[in-house]
Amino acid sequence: MSASDKQDGKSMNCAEFQEKLPELFESGANVSSEEHVLGCENCAALVRDLEYIASQAKLLLPIHDPSPAVWDNIQSAIRSEKGSGAVPASKRS
Amino acid sequence: MSLAYQTKSSKGLTDKTKRGIFKAGDVRMTAGPTQPKPVQHMRRNPPIAGEAEAIAKAQNGDAQSFEMLYSLHKRRVYSLCLRMLGNVAEAEDLTQEAFLQLYRKIGTFRGDSAFSTWLHRLAVNVVLMHLRKKGLPQVSLEETLEPSQEDGPRKDIGERDLVLSGSLDRVALERAVENLPPGYRLVFVLHDVEGYEHNEIADMLNCSIGNSKSQLHKARMKLRDLLRSGQRKEEIA
Repeated sequence: MSASDKQDGKSMNCAEFQEKLPELFESGANVSSEEHVLGCENCAALVRDLEYIASQAKLLLPIHDPSPAVWDNIQSAIRSEKGSGAVPASKRS
Repeated sequence: MSLAYQTKSSKGLTDKTKRGIFKAGDVRMTAGPTQPKPVQHMRRNPPIAGEAEAIAKAQNGDAQSFEMLYSLHKRRVYSLCLRMLGNVAEAEDLTQEAFLQLYRKIGTFRGDSAFSTWLHRLAVNVVLMHLRKKGLPQVSLEETLEPSQEDGPRKDIGERDLVLSGSLDRVALERAVENLPPGYRLVFVLHDVEGYEHNEIADMLNCSIGNSKSQLHKARMKLRDLLRSGQRKEEIA
């Protein structure tokens, strides 16, 4: 097995491929079309899943609201800052 | 100072589109003159009707306008805090702190970028500052970003059973993210959910870019483990 065989992925085993995976993702390469992936169902499934997780993460929207007590506390803190003479940046000249 | 940063499209992990956001050093909770460059593309930052007027009025001390800004942005700020911390009480405390910081600093916002981008980064900094104060090493020492061995993702050699693609609901993903070890969760939320780049995350977490990349990969692998074990449990039940 030559060094170039190793590099082009033909002779890469699963452990070697998975070791290289973070770098492949970050390189912008089409990981699904890597030689090893084309011949290995297990690694193909892994790549699909990781891509899927990353794509789904982008769709996570803000869905949680803080309790009303948070705003009450903010108001209270602002009142006490005003009372103590602390001035927000907006009011400084 | 480069403020434009990229996020990924749905095509792949590294196909990126421009988005404007602050770099780590730009908003350090100090009312300095530093302002971001104009936003080129605002993912999740569409213009909000009445926001610009509310900002202007809040900058002049109008309480109702500040309350409006809170109403407009509380969900996003709180969700960010909750995802980064995985704890409701802390997330509420830091949401409060972020809006208090906003109250103090709003006069320094000059509208060169989306307000929500600016506020968002302010909130990220509040959370990270809190974590540092708590002395959690995962945000300052890169070697300790590593969770314990048992928390880490398993290798996937020769293991072929459940495939997630197409079957994942967002509630399950949210739950799995909550269950990530803190170091993994921070990097995953900042990169994959919030769209920050590795160089920005490295700045924020005081770790190397390579470490950020490595943590992200491990986080995704760990998520896959968590999601697949969740699927197995559902199948058994």
